Amino acid sequence: MSGATTAAYLARRAAQKERVRILYRRALKDTLNWAVHRHLFYQDASDLREKFEANKRVEDLDTIDRMIADGEASYNKWRHPDPYIVPWAPGGSKFTRNPVPPSGIEIVYDYGREDND
Amino acid sequence: MALRAAVLRHIRVPVRTLAATGPKPQLQWSLCNSIRLFSSHDDHLTKEEVIDRVLDVVKSFPKVDPSKVTPHVHFQNDLGLDSLDNVEIVMALEEEFKLEIPDKEADKIDSCNLAIEYIYNHPMAG
Repeated sequence: MSGATTAAYLARRAAQKERVRILYRRALKDTLNWAVHRHLFYQDASDLREKFEANKRVEDLDTIDRMIADGEASYNKWRHPDPYIVPWAPGGSKFTRNPVPPSGIEIVYDYGREDND
Repeated sequence: MALRAAVLRHIRVPVRTLAATGPKPQLQWSLCNSIRLFSSHDDHLTKEEVIDRVLDVVKSFPKVDPSKVTPHVHFQNDLGLDSLDNVEIVMALEEEFKLEIPDKEADKIDSCNLAIEYIYNHPMAG
């Protein structure tokens, strides 16, 4: 096969591997969102892993691209409407709850001395 | 006037100088060994705690041989794991420390070293 180990080929494969890893990470988090009970999550997570493992040995770049696109489409279809996000992260319940006050502001507590002096 | 000075001199408490060093300071510190700090920003994890918990998480992974796990182990090179296993380990660490690691950062965590450093330097690591 022409260009079997050229830099462009390797770069494309590396980019695909990164896409696969990020897709697997998001799909796993989504599985955890949907399957609240832990034993169900383990079952679903191993099913997801089987699906990824079945396509592990594909070598053709275009097939891989198409499979990644299909995977991302099905991930978008199955996204949870109310995912669990860690509270202090963007989207969580504690995000910007107590923002840091702007610097340079100083509150001087005089307890009415400036009025009643 | 002289009477006043005499009375004051009489009732004035003599000042005693304590010995400079001695058992006293140690006694004071041993009484407040467990100091409670009332600020909310001083409960960062110590490095040993982070290392212990990270190693526990990695050892309880079913595909990992627990005897090979050290703080400097590389997930794919030393433990023989897959890149998808790497993703699973990072997710387990996220759950353990209640963190939210962005996707790009999570992709780069490849070994125990990086994981421990990232978690230790994260301000919200629980």
